[in-house]
Amino acid sequence: MSEAVVRMEHVSRIYGQGNVAVHALQDVTSTIRNGEFVCIVGPSGCGKSTMLHLIGGLDAPTSGRVYVENQDLAKLSRNQLSDLRLKRIGFVFQAFNLIPVLTALENVEFILQLQGIARTKRTARAMEVLQSVGLEHEAKRRPGELSGGQQQRVAIARALVANPILLIADEPSANLDSSMTRELCELLQRVNREHEVTILTATHDPTVMGYSDRQIRLEDGKIQHDDSS
Amino acid sequence: MLLLVGRLKLVFSVSVRNLRRQWRRNSILLFAITVAVGGVIVLNSLVRGMQVQMVDTVVENLTGHIKIQAKGYRDDPSVANGFEIDAEDATRNLEDLPILGWATRLTVPSVIMSERETRGAQLVGIDPTRESISYISNVRVEGSHVENSSDSRLLIGRALLNDLQTKLGRRIVIITQDAEGMSKEIGYRIVGVFDAQSESAERAFVFTGIEALQGLLETDRVTELSVRFRTRYVDQDDFSIVQQRFAGLDVLSWQQVNPFVAFMFETVDVVIYIWLGVVLGALIFGLVNTLITAVLERTQEFGLFRAVGMRPGIIVSQVVLESVILMVLGIALGLIGSSAVFAWLREGIDLSAFASGVDMMGMSPRINPAALPRDIVVVVVISLMLSFVASLFPALRAVRMNPLDALRN
Repeated sequence: MSEAVVRMEHVSRIYGQGNVAVHALQDVTSTIRNGEFVCIVGPSGCGKSTMLHLIGGLDAPTSGRVYVENQDLAKLSRNQLSDLRLKRIGFVFQAFNLIPVLTALENVEFILQLQGIARTKRTARAMEVLQSVGLEHEAKRRPGELSGGQQQRVAIARALVANPILLIADEPSANLDSSMTRELCELLQRVNREHEVTILTATHDPTVMGYSDRQIRLEDGKIQHDDSS
Repeated sequence: MLLLVGRLKLVFSVSVRNLRRQWRRNSILLFAITVAVGGVIVLNSLVRGMQVQMVDTVVENLTGHIKIQAKGYRDDPSVANGFEIDAEDATRNLEDLPILGWATRLTVPSVIMSERETRGAQLVGIDPTRESISYISNVRVEGSHVENSSDSRLLIGRALLNDLQTKLGRRIVIITQDAEGMSKEIGYRIVGVFDAQSESAERAFVFTGIEALQGLLETDRVTELSVRFRTRYVDQDDFSIVQQRFAGLDVLSWQQVNPFVAFMFETVDVVIYIWLGVVLGALIFGLVNTLITAVLERTQEFGLFRAVGMRPGIIVSQVVLESVILMVLGIALGLIGSSAVFAWLREGIDLSAFASGVDMMGMSPRINPAALPRDIVVVVVISLMLSFVASLFPALRAVRMNPLDALRN
């Protein structure tokens, strides 16, 4: 059995207090292993995004422990969490979230620039990743000049450029039409198989679910079903 | 180090592009900074020019940088409170100091009578060869100047001449006291009429040869030794040396002789800094407002930066850098603009329409801007510091945002 990339132990996340407390996640325990393509599914408000954010270190659990590559996220400082996200985790968001003043190439390259990689090396690497998502000819364009599907592919290229071990995608197909969604899924599957990147995505979309190896169904913040169980 | 340089380049590049993204808003802010910085520099220079002229006028107006008098002369300015001094002693005591020159004078209060009017003025006995340190050597004279220290003729200011309703070449009578306190009436012929920059200087003094006046008043005394230094401001050590060498006499700085002008001189410094504070304070409000707007507009972007692993410090430096870049550009344009204004005002500003007012302040009617490097450095440094401080609040606001809330924005 391959190594665990993510481990969640009795994780709960409560927003608010007293009568207005919302139990977004309740006592969730799960392990995601290296190379898996996992879909977290469930109705809106079931805790899918919360789970992704806790794993990405963007949020902290109210109780329980989250481990990424055996590091307890609760024990990492703000800067250490930033470094973990910068070097080991790639994020893809529903709204693409590209930087509008940078070109597609620069949007991909700036992650490497944050890591202090030399210009020629990082430009070559960013072009290589853009090529792998089929956008080498759009490298000089800014996000406003690209279609939604192209922007999402730039976002995926940005998430992959630092060779992360884990790619977290929150509703990546929400703003895409069906053909773009299929293209996106094929790309994610290729990344998962060829680059052995563990993919963890929250989605409502049956197309995306169809490409995954494993589904975790959440309801009211609890795991109702896990294919690995 | 490589990592730091790489991050700085990224931050700089993104900051510049963000400024260009909102070019219209930032251009307005840049214009405001340029006007504020340039305006403060120009106005400070004009005020500083007035300050410098006040000092120059006072120093030239017979005071010098240092005035040496007998103790008690200030309370009772009469010949009896004069002192004797040998020219060789004075030269020996002052020759190693950075002075432009010195002059002894015999100054006595007097009443001047013409055939029609009577006025009070100071009768000043001078050695014209030593008066290069005062305004009287540079005035325009109708008729002739006091030619030497034994010249017993009178040089009078045009304003006083008019007040006395007399003319060049006519005789007047001066009543004063000799060293024994006895009244003396001296008849003088007016041989010269001078035009000074201020009417008060034309009314306050009449001049004759010092040896001639000493002879008439039957004294060997002088009432003052005036010393002028090469620099505008006297080093405190040099002042102390003069005090030591003329122990037993009152050694007074120009500030002590003219406390009103000294007060005005010091007030100017305060005015400059108050003005600087008001203008830059107002500017900073605009800067903070613009930066907060820029941060709020880019909430999602900052959330993304945090999510992909940009350290909070880099986000802070990006917002701070945007503010500093704007300020540096504004300062550069402000300096260029103020240089243009200085070129335009190279002949000075003519205030002769307000001549009596500026005369009262001890200033000349033409103000030349005096841009002191120190003042410009203060404006530049304070502007940069304020742009840094002003950007901290929006920058910290950008960092304190929850990345998730920011991304959902």
